[in-house]
Amino acid sequence: MKALFLLSLAAVAPAQVPDADWLSYGNNLAAWRYSPAGAINVSNVKRLQVEWVFQTGIAGKNETTPLVRGNLMYVTAPENAAWALDLATGRPVWSYTKPIPAGINVCCGNVNRGFAISGDTLFKTNVEATLVALDAATGTVKWETSIADPRKGYSATVAPIVAKDKVIVGIAGAEFGTRGFIDAYDAKTGRRVWRFWTVPAPGEFGGETWPADSKAYEQGGGSTWVTGTYDPELNLIYWGTGNPGPDMNGDVRPGDNLFTCSLVALDADTGRRRWHFQYTPHDVHDWDATEDPVLVDVTRGGRKVKAVIMANRNGFYYALDRTTGELLAAKAYTKVDWAKGIDAKGRPILIPGKDPTEEGNVACPGGGGGHNWHPSAYSPKTGLYYFPTTDGCHVYWRTGQQYVEGQWYQASTFSGATTNPTGAIVAVDPSTGETRWRFPLVSPPSSGLVATAGGLVFSGDPQGYFFALDAATGKALWKRQLGGVVISGPISWARGGRQFVTVSAGQAIYTFALPAE
Amino acid sequence: MGRGLFRILCAPCHGIGAKGGRGPDLTSGVYAAGSTDRDLFRVIANGVAGTEMPGYAARFGEDNIWRLIAYLRSVTVRQDPPPSGDKAAGEALFWGKGGCGACHRVGQRGSPAGPDLSRIGRKRSLAYLRQSLVDPNADLTAGFYKITARPPGAAAVTGVQRGYDNFSCQLMTMSGQFYSFPRDEKTTCDREFTSIMPSYRNLAEGELNNLLVYLLSLRGE
Repeated sequence: MKALFLLSLAAVAPAQVPDADWLSYGNNLAAWRYSPAGAINVSNVKRLQVEWVFQTGIAGKNETTPLVRGNLMYVTAPENAAWALDLATGRPVWSYTKPIPAGINVCCGNVNRGFAISGDTLFKTNVEATLVALDAATGTVKWETSIADPRKGYSATVAPIVAKDKVIVGIAGAEFGTRGFIDAYDAKTGRRVWRFWTVPAPGEFGGETWPADSKAYEQGGGSTWVTGTYDPELNLIYWGTGNPGPDMNGDVRPGDNLFTCSLVALDADTGRRRWHFQYTPHDVHDWDATEDPVLVDVTRGGRKVKAVIMANRNGFYYALDRTTGELLAAKAYTKVDWAKGIDAKGRPILIPGKDPTEEGNVACPGGGGGHNWHPSAYSPKTGLYYFPTTDGCHVYWRTGQQYVEGQWYQASTFSGATTNPTGAIVAVDPSTGETRWRFPLVSPPSSGLVATAGGLVFSGDPQGYFFALDAATGKALWKRQLGGVVISGPISWARGGRQFVTVSAGQAIYTFALPAE
Repeated sequence: MGRGLFRILCAPCHGIGAKGGRGPDLTSGVYAAGSTDRDLFRVIANGVAGTEMPGYAARFGEDNIWRLIAYLRSVTVRQDPPPSGDKAAGEALFWGKGGCGACHRVGQRGSPAGPDLSRIGRKRSLAYLRQSLVDPNADLTAGFYKITARPPGAAAVTGVQRGYDNFSCQLMTMSGQFYSFPRDEKTTCDREFTSIMPSYRNLAEGELNNLLVYLLSLRGE
């Protein structure tokens, strides 16, 4: 059946549009979110039209990044639901669902960000902090393993990645006084191979950045809810870590609080830390470093350096040497009023008086930061890095709270200072962080991006528009109103001589293409 | 203690001082699901079906719910005694020379341009309503902003926001006419965070009181 399908498409396929898959959260393990398909370009994008729509019927925020391989698309949804869809029509081939146990506390919805795939097996997290392996052809469960105890406040929303024979996952739950980690599981058996705690215990490296003789580290946060990247040459996993706990009240955790709000580089075989870089030491503004750590080459003093780049929630763009963790460049991309800049070693030069108080204190960026988790994109064609940002501020409030296992533990909150924050899609030069263009948004962004070889960047917005920008200039070239919030990272792929763009909006998965010849 | 609990659990929706945000203002002493201690206990424990308000009974005990109620009572603005006024005269003013029905709806009557006032007597305090009539910009209802569109070769159109996004704007004028415009090189849509409602500060005190008595009587019943 599969062979027939491919054969019939191949017969009509013009040779100049080779098939293109989408094989992991960031398409490649460097998280470029770039499609080499270039049939849809700046000249013809205005003719883009709907090819098919799949209604999930599942309410909630659909943050999935679909995968495309063979003749199927693999899609996850909130509430532990997932499907394989026919690439040609969007009709479901198989479905997976698992009821979420009662009493699970999740900070921000029962969401899921997508599958990983290796061989004939798909991997996804379930909300109750499990990792499940499904047969890619049938959706049958091969194994399911517990990552952590959800009654302690742990949950899982992240899309895994596969590095060689291991499935790498992170965890959520820093708002519930948990201690974060990054795990590797044997892809065949589901057995855990290693665990890296993102908050060290006393006596371990970094343990001195937490108060001595205290259990504060056990509630130290450092969630890992956004997918990391993998460099097979260096055999290193790069993964961003979230806020320390409690969130915006640092009183019980004096010190830098390693490895929260950091990037860690781990040996893929052992999980041992090769290096770390802390973007926001002793964070008190909820500025998780849970943004895509994108692996690109940048230019430094005329030579090429293997770098890992991130537009961090704290308002600064960073380029690091991904072999050593040394800072290459840092530059603010939105309004920042808490630090004058970043020093040569990568430490923020603080402006005093910006911490949360009992009476409330304004700081910029706001609680969601500038660039949040929304997937970013890098185009090797333009050499630019693209990401969405919120431009605004918040009032940060601190209060007292006793920790109770499994319960909300933030001891703080934030509320709107800028009544109507705006947003933008930003293009920066990855070597310097210089902004090349900004596409203004009337409200904070909701969606990630994809860049294509056709010189386009696709994104969506909370008001339901899905649109294409000229990757070189930021000019809007095409838009469609989809009637639902666009939250996921869009993807682009090619089959049978045609290029497609897929995105979720509201409770539906939309696929677009140019009209068939 | 109640204040601390409120800040952590309730402030994200109801605002840090209980003055409202995504959820209603809780300082007015007037609550949509009832205003007695017993009503408040029921709402906090069980939530309100059909709204975003969850129940907290399972998450923390009765003592903590009473602490929250004690906190709410401590931040409630003292209620002014109801003004002496004539409800029928206020109703006549609302639909007559006041012109309120050109923008507001009560039940099945009026216009959808401005906020629906069918249950306003449950939602807002007397002091709040008086301030809104005298100074409509004092606390703008989210989304009801002023939009001015300038289409090519035609007069500018001003009205209440029905939509405002990256590629279009929609508005309704005071006369109830709906417009939709693209936002592009040819047409600009400017948004101001102000109300198009005129101030009623020039009403005689008696007329203002009549209007307030009518508004407070609107309870969706």
